[in-house]
Amino acid sequence: MRREDHLGSLEQIVLLAVLRLKENGYGMMVRREIEECTGRNISIGAVYSTLERLEGKGYVSSFVGEPTSERGGRAKRIFRIEAAGKRALQTTEHVIRSMTEGLTGRWRTI
Amino acid sequence: MRRRLPPGIACRLFEFVLPVPNRDAMLGDLIEEYALRAQATSSLAAARWFWSQTCRSVLWKAWYSLRNIDFLDNISIALGVYVAIAILQLGVDLVISKLVAPSPTTSVAIAPVVFLATAAIGGCLTARIRRGTTLFLALAVMISVAMMIDFRICTIPVPWWYPFGFLTLGPLAVLIAPALIGVTNAGAGRPAR
Repeated sequence: MRREDHLGSLEQIVLLAVLRLKENGYGMMVRREIEECTGRNISIGAVYSTLERLEGKGYVSSFVGEPTSERGGRAKRIFRIEAAGKRALQTTEHVIRSMTEGLTGRWRTI
Repeated sequence: MRRRLPPGIACRLFEFVLPVPNRDAMLGDLIEEYALRAQATSSLAAARWFWSQTCRSVLWKAWYSLRNIDFLDNISIALGVYVAIAILQLGVDLVISKLVAPSPTTSVAIAPVVFLATAAIGGCLTARIRRGTTLFLALAVMISVAMMIDFRICTIPVPWWYPFGFLTLGPLAVLIAPALIGVTNAGAGRPAR
């Protein structure tokens, strides 16, 4: 595994949220998706910092949508997962699978 | 009728402190979610959520800046302004003592005014130099006040809330004054990272 393929836990969660949201992956939806799926109430600042970092790594790309009145005339920045991002997620999933293999019975004894 | 507009001061604080890239998108997201929450719960609960998001995002930004290579620049600017406002405050105190020779009671009454005014000037000055560095100045002010309280610099007996006011209102004056006055840095094109 290349070093740049390593994802932090928040990066994984944010990337998975973008993947789940498909074409609707903008800040608010990402934040809500994470809150609904994990129960973690993270700040919008944390979401955007992570998305900016992921964009820097080439894992996501973004474009600016149209401004709307319900957003106070502000445009959305919509994020989309890139092939490199999918690969990084697959690598992470593979690592987790490898590390947890054979541990099923041990959860109860811990 | 339910209020759908998010807290104005929180919006301005958000606009002021956070860096230009993605700032509008972030604020738009918060405004959109605020409206949904105000509909689902109450305006008060939504406003509380909005404030918590603003404060946490600002803190996140501060933490992010600390990890950034801009850290030394930000610290240098903040400390430079801090020294400048300390000198200014000293000068004003000196002038006041020469002009009116205040009694201890008058000093206790005047000190917060001078302190908050210089803190606000410092905030505006920092904001002119670089947006976002005000956080560092606010932190410097808070630390220095905490040290002064700890070292018991003030020999005049004051109620408990008096030093606590300095500790909280000083950093707030640094952060909020530029947002209220609408000071922007000349190099707005180069946001603090």
